[in-house]
Amino acid sequence: MATEVANAVSNGISSEVKSPVQSKYSKDKKVGEGTYAVVYLGNQISTKRKIAIKEIKTGLFKDGLDMSAIREVKYLQELKHPNVIELIDVFSTSNNLNLVLEFLPCDLEVLIKDTSIVFKSSDIKSWLLMTLRGVHHCHRNFILHRDLKPNNLLLAPDGQLKIADFGLARSLGNPNEELSSNVVTRWYRAPELLFGAKHYTVAVDIWSVGIIFAELMLRTPYLPGKDDIDQLDVTFRALGTPTDQIWPNVSNLPQYNALKIYPPPSRQELRNRFSAATDNALDLLILMTQMDPSRRCDSTQALLHEFFTEAPRATDPKDLPKKKEKKPVNEGNDNSNAKRRKV
Amino acid sequence: MVVQDNKSNSYASRRQSNIVDDFDDRSSDMCPICKTDKYLSPNMNFLINPECYHRICESCVDRIFSLGPAPCPYANCGKILRKNKFKQQIFDNLSIEREIDIRKKVGAIYNKTEEDFSDLKEYNKYLEIIEDIIFKLNNGIDRDQTEMELYTYEQEHKLEILEKNITESQKNADAQKYKEAMERLRQEKLRFEREHEIEDLEYQQKQQQELLDTLTNSNSTISAEEIIKQQQSNALKRASLRKKQLQQVNTQLEQKFNPVYQQKLLEQQLAISRMPFTPFQGDRDLNKLYKLLPIPNEIDKLMDIENHISDSYNDPYLNKLAKNKEYLGAGWRLTTVYERALDEAFIGLGCIIEQEKRQTTAV
Repeated sequence: MATEVANAVSNGISSEVKSPVQSKYSKDKKVGEGTYAVVYLGNQISTKRKIAIKEIKTGLFKDGLDMSAIREVKYLQELKHPNVIELIDVFSTSNNLNLVLEFLPCDLEVLIKDTSIVFKSSDIKSWLLMTLRGVHHCHRNFILHRDLKPNNLLLAPDGQLKIADFGLARSLGNPNEELSSNVVTRWYRAPELLFGAKHYTVAVDIWSVGIIFAELMLRTPYLPGKDDIDQLDVTFRALGTPTDQIWPNVSNLPQYNALKIYPPPSRQELRNRFSAATDNALDLLILMTQMDPSRRCDSTQALLHEFFTEAPRATDPKDLPKKKEKKPVNEGNDNSNAKRRKV
Repeated sequence: MVVQDNKSNSYASRRQSNIVDDFDDRSSDMCPICKTDKYLSPNMNFLINPECYHRICESCVDRIFSLGPAPCPYANCGKILRKNKFKQQIFDNLSIEREIDIRKKVGAIYNKTEEDFSDLKEYNKYLEIIEDIIFKLNNGIDRDQTEMELYTYEQEHKLEILEKNITESQKNADAQKYKEAMERLRQEKLRFEREHEIEDLEYQQKQQQELLDTLTNSNSTISAEEIIKQQQSNALKRASLRKKQLQQVNTQLEQKFNPVYQQKLLEQQLAISRMPFTPFQGDRDLNKLYKLLPIPNEIDKLMDIENHISDSYNDPYLNKLAKNKEYLGAGWRLTTVYERALDEAFIGLGCIIEQEKRQTTAV
């Protein structure tokens, strides 16, 4: 007990008594705060491994813990895969819940927005490949992620991409169970969700991956709708308005409306939009962004697609572009050089 | 034959006296079809067609041959000419122009190079054959027969010719690339050296200034000689450092621009690409322990199952869901439901935890 107290004091966080699990980790610095949680940077004391501690706020809601925290714990406990974020531990203090996650310093959105970084086609391939592997692992365990977007695809220092934020995830329930259609960040929302479908499938995640793939190529969001109605319009303008012919039974979905009929894009139009994409890349994109969820490919088909076997090969994760943090180091070198010259 | 007539004509006119030369020049600058004169319209151009080598001005070619092949407008010629074969005359002497054309044509078919032959004698023989053909074609000796021979040779060696063409063009491109890369390397090096020189000069001036300053301000404890000595040793140190730096930069540049280095890099990449690509990184369960029965997706086939005993699953509750159009529209499929049920039923079978534990502890 004495040592634990000493630990707590030396860490300088608080003098409250720590549980045995808690003392295995140090909380060093606050790095972010969301609606439900505060994120701290820390270390696993035994291994000196960098970790992130997500402290879930409680007391905000009358009915106990927030749903997303429970979901995150529930599904991350089950999933262990190189391309899914690792939940190292969970512990609770007197009034809140702490998730110990592996520390991932960067996400894909940051890279997409950084215009100074050039993406090679092999880089895009590598990211897509890792995303699909992670999604495949979720899906074969019958878990829907339901919030795939570049912001939730984190990047480890060794270049590995990891799917994170399982706050909206759920497992496929009973065959007749109703799922909420109000999931997935709007720009990455599949058309069946926009139509208010309640019995959707893993295909909603594949749609998101397809849109992320497009975003990686365009370096700008592919379908940026201003609101839910506009999202329908933007989606259909880009990919054509679905009708019962190309998507059987679509008109039976609760919120189906064909506001404006846009023709589906010709291959040439797509080719113009994605001018750098090869034919195989376009094929895969078209497969992943099929309007009809039953025609959309699944993660297995996507991974087996020729796009991944054609040249160039996917970049080795460790050679992928990274957030530029090396600059100050370089400047330091330059300075030392300059000093040496002056001597 | 006509060509030869034409040639002898021009020879004859050249042999005439200088007085006529003036007129001859004039006539050669006039299109015999439309009588447009170069003197009056300096922008006009003459074209020739390798079929008969008659000079026709550009506007006439446009006018006569735009609608398709037509006979040569020269009297007594009448050869059928095509517009796309017309070209600018390069050599003043038409016989040379013609020989070059023939040479090009034959060379495109007989396109072997010295390295294709085991010894020089055979290569020379090959060249001899080429020269023979060119001579015959040029002078109209057995023309039809030689042309036939040329044609049959081309047909027989079509693939060889094509291959040779490809390797040749590749070689040219490679050589070009190598030259460009080396040039870039040289320029980079030069640029760097120049920068260095300027820096050195500045440094020297500054040193001198400093020396003067210290000498004027120095107190008598340190002698002037010592100060100078110190300065010199400093300069020496710096020079050696600079040399090292220069070497480093040079090797860096070599790596960046020298194609030989880049070749090595390419080979490394090749070595990586020889590693097999595994889409699932080996993490894929291909041997399922069950076999899924065929499951119908259409509603009327579902009715079949309900009414007859068949080789499929029959769950009245699920069948009811499978007929719901809202479910179907959202991508819900009976197959996935059964697949999942069976997957979950079989998921732990065949995993022997004790064995896996032993393996991990052994590792």
